[in-house]
Amino acid sequence: MMSLLLALSLLWPLAIAGSVVWGAYRRPQAGRQAGHREGNGYFSLLWISAAWPALLLAYGGEAQWTMDIWMLGGEWELNSLSRPWLAFSALLWSLAAFHARGYFAADQAKAQDGDQDAQRRLLRLALFWPLTLLGNVLLIIAQDIASFYLGFALMTFAAYAFVVHNGTAEAQQGAKVYLIMAVVGEGLILGGFLWAAGEANTLMLQGVQESILTAEQGAWMAALLCLGLGVKAGVIGLHVWLPLAHPVAPAPASAVLSGVMIKAGLLGWISILPLGNEQVSGDLAQFGTIMLVAGLAAAFGAAGYGVFQRHPKAVLAYSSISQMGMMTALVAMGLVAPEVWPMLWPGLVLFAAHHALAKGTLFMGTSISEHLPRWPLPLVWALLALPGISLAGTIGAGLISKWSVKSPLHEIHYETLIKLLSWAAVGTAALVCVALWRQWQQRQKGGGHHCQWGAWLAGIVLALTTPLWLPLPAGSIEMPPMKEWLSLMWPLPVGILMTMVGWLVTRPLNAEPPPAGDAWWLYAGIVGAALVPIKHAANRCGQLKTASVVTAQHAEERIMGLLNRLLSGETWLRHHASGLMMVLAVLLAALLMWEGQQ
Amino acid sequence: MNAAWLPLTALATSLLVAATIFCLPEEARRLRSTINLLAAVFKIILVVLMFRRVADGHEDIFSFQVIGGVDFVLRTDALGVMFAGLSSLLWLCTTVYAIGYLEGSANRKRFFGFFSLCVASTIGIALADNLFTFLIFYEMLTLSTYPLVVHRGSEQALNAGRVYLRYTLSAGVVILLGAVLLYSLTGDQSFSSEEGLGDYVNDHRVLLILVFGLLVGGMAVKAAMVPLHGWLPRAMVAPAPVSALLHAVAVVKAGAFGILRVVYDLYGIELSVELGVISVLAVAASVTIIYGSLRAIAQQELKPLLAFSTVSQVSYIILGIGVFGPFGTVGALAHLLHQGLMKVTLFFCAGNYAEELGIHRIDEMDGAGKRMPLTSIAFTIGALGMIGLPPVAGFITKWYLGVGAIQADMYWVVAVLVLSTGLNAIYFLPIVHRLWFRLGPSHGKGHWPDEQRLGKRLETHSWLLMPMVVTAIISLMAGLFAGLPFSPLDWAARVANGEYLP
Repeated sequence: MMSLLLALSLLWPLAIAGSVVWGAYRRPQAGRQAGHREGNGYFSLLWISAAWPALLLAYGGEAQWTMDIWMLGGEWELNSLSRPWLAFSALLWSLAAFHARGYFAADQAKAQDGDQDAQRRLLRLALFWPLTLLGNVLLIIAQDIASFYLGFALMTFAAYAFVVHNGTAEAQQGAKVYLIMAVVGEGLILGGFLWAAGEANTLMLQGVQESILTAEQGAWMAALLCLGLGVKAGVIGLHVWLPLAHPVAPAPASAVLSGVMIKAGLLGWISILPLGNEQVSGDLAQFGTIMLVAGLAAAFGAAGYGVFQRHPKAVLAYSSISQMGMMTALVAMGLVAPEVWPMLWPGLVLFAAHHALAKGTLFMGTSISEHLPRWPLPLVWALLALPGISLAGTIGAGLISKWSVKSPLHEIHYETLIKLLSWAAVGTAALVCVALWRQWQQRQKGGGHHCQWGAWLAGIVLALTTPLWLPLPAGSIEMPPMKEWLSLMWPLPVGILMTMVGWLVTRPLNAEPPPAGDAWWLYAGIVGAALVPIKHAANRCGQLKTASVVTAQHAEERIMGLLNRLLSGETWLRHHASGLMMVLAVLLAALLMWEGQQ
Repeated sequence: MNAAWLPLTALATSLLVAATIFCLPEEARRLRSTINLLAAVFKIILVVLMFRRVADGHEDIFSFQVIGGVDFVLRTDALGVMFAGLSSLLWLCTTVYAIGYLEGSANRKRFFGFFSLCVASTIGIALADNLFTFLIFYEMLTLSTYPLVVHRGSEQALNAGRVYLRYTLSAGVVILLGAVLLYSLTGDQSFSSEEGLGDYVNDHRVLLILVFGLLVGGMAVKAAMVPLHGWLPRAMVAPAPVSALLHAVAVVKAGAFGILRVVYDLYGIELSVELGVISVLAVAASVTIIYGSLRAIAQQELKPLLAFSTVSQVSYIILGIGVFGPFGTVGALAHLLHQGLMKVTLFFCAGNYAEELGIHRIDEMDGAGKRMPLTSIAFTIGALGMIGLPPVAGFITKWYLGVGAIQADMYWVVAVLVLSTGLNAIYFLPIVHRLWFRLGPSHGKGHWPDEQRLGKRLETHSWLLMPMVVTAIISLMAGLFAGLPFSPLDWAARVANGEYLP
């Protein structure tokens, strides 16, 4: 039964992608009109159901599969880690698909009226959506390197279509940054996997863990892999694609990009790092410390930079970087303080799941504020704010997830880290405030669709109740005791207060907001400057080559000239052959006569 | 039981076809195609037979003495059968493609005649059991390819042919010199001998290195290693099926295969390592990989880009030899097949674009995915495979090469692999992007350079489409189900086991 579900959850998205292609091939124009009558079009019920088998699979229980014929040997597993991960991923994918149906309703209508551009864009999105989902599901259940890498690459490259969807200049730019960073990431991951797998002669992610643990340069392997996966997870320095790609992607695509795809990097870290292993070497622990610092730097830096952004989605993207920074720090704790990991990881998974749903819902919310339904505005903004408040750790699942990562840290007395995480939550609160404020400024009425706000409302409910439905090991998550509530809740009011103060202080300055994508412009400048001398050198090499070819040709001509002269000598000989013969004969005769006289 | 007829028949099939085609009149189009296809299918059956016999542990030998001490020997062994399998499978595909491609053009008799001769030489190269036999077919390949390169008869084609002959014939002389030196030292040396040349190493170390240099240096011309690659991009003027033949089936592969034979079967891997020539090979291959990729980035036209990509990719095979250890060998052997499959797909695609839409330059490819979806999907598969992304076959090779390099403590090779992945992405991804994400003539922007509408219901002529689809599917399957018995990877592992475990 589980095997059937597994096959279905992988083949179903593939079949849907196939049916999208088939539909476009069979009835390029007419089918869309027919679809209009049925109210289907590109985003039919079939299309929405792409993630459902995977969702069922996640709740089906633990299981394991081995497939020898699959690439380098396939090993897939649903265990205590991959089950909850698959559950929240598939859930957000389903919600976002539902949301997409509403979000694209206007485009859909345009396409049915014969707008070729809209048809093309929708077809592309409808095709790449299930493929990206497929990659995501595969990488979650994969336990062998090849499957994981396949899933990761498929998800990464298929998601390009999401970013480039609008086709505007910004979208092109964002997609370009996305792709360049993705290729850099893939290269780093490949190098890291080859190194670790080659040392330990393994094909499994488990083997990579052992290799990193035991090998002499384990910390460097870990660094390569962590940086490569970190491109996806938005590690500081490699995060530049997030704020450029998110604002241009359509809201449901941003939701899955920021909600679940960004978590693929995190899952990768958890799978390959020997977290919670007591024999962690000094180097590796040091690497963990660096990771911890990088995570905290991202948590604070992104918050500090993000609050100045204009576009609500850019603000939310910086919020994702900040949140991922916190999760990075928590993962690093598995190396720095291995003993805490068994207690910490369920909390981290809950943190990730809650962030996925909450951030996904916030992104869906940006499309709600652009197409406001006819509800009272305070109600709408209260609803829009709910996932954000929860993200800051003040209510619902956010409160519980904050507690579930903080209480293990309490037990090993990492009070400083707890304090820093609380202050990072202040940053989250501030970012959410700014995002809502920007949404308020850019709000537009009308044009919504019931699927759009249906999925959004469901997202709010699911985000707030994450611990209830997430299939974590029993007893691993607890409610915080009442006396701790205040210590968890204070970041929100402080964040709001700080935002207001900051706004009042900076308003008179009337400065331009800093560009989204911060360091990208620096990188682009550096690479551009570095390319100039390389181009010069290449030109020089080209000239050198031309010069040497010319020299060689001259030399060849000269040699050929000499040979020709020899040949003409031969002609001269041929011409005067008879005369020469005569001379020779006379000479010979003279010689003979001279000899005869002797 | 020795089935001496088996290697002989395999060789004779193509030779007979060549002879028959030369005898048929130019107009006998149908008959010629039928003979060609029947022979290609027949040869695949023969090769499958050989595969089975080799897998069961039989070795079929056909031999006769030419003069004292010099024998003509054909033998089926795992490595040779692997190459024969590749060439006969791709021969069928390329023949189908060529029939479609050359429909209605002149001099088809000459073309198909030499085409068959070319493939016959490839089979000879694959099954040759000593250097003498190998050399005969190696030179035969050189000569029979020339008429194909200059087939169009234009000034440019004749120039390319001249360059091709200059490179390959002088290389042939170098190899001949090496072979004569070796024969004078050791006498007839079978590729199947267990001890290799290990007995001579104490007395003739320098001579052995010299001979190795001559043989491998000569073969590196056909394998298009930098700086001996100059002929390959020039030969791009040839028709698409010939390019496919040059790049994937016969010529370039013959060079790489020759180097495999010299290192693994003539010298033996231990001896090669002891002489220190292996590391030189690895460095040369790395230089070629990087240089080829860099040059490919600078190309404006599709076929020269693919040519430089071949320069880069074929050296993966050499790199795999240079990485001492079973994993490197598996990578090298698997890439011999994988590169052939992927590159032939890419050339079929390039040919289809040129035939159907008149596209030669990369910037003319905008939006071609809508007009020619199957071709563009095949191109995408090939391109992703070249980059080394899973699940296409290229990933499998890259994996084995990388793991082999780590196990041989050659960490810099991994850096080369990663860098090459990046460079491949830099020149292939923009093309894929153009195909699928840009607006072009099929969206009503501008028009194709020279649109033909060769197919009635399909995007182009079905004979051009079918072989490309088949090779694309095989290259995908070779990666996706690499664990299947008799997959390229499985067979490569079998050969490598034979080399490393006596």
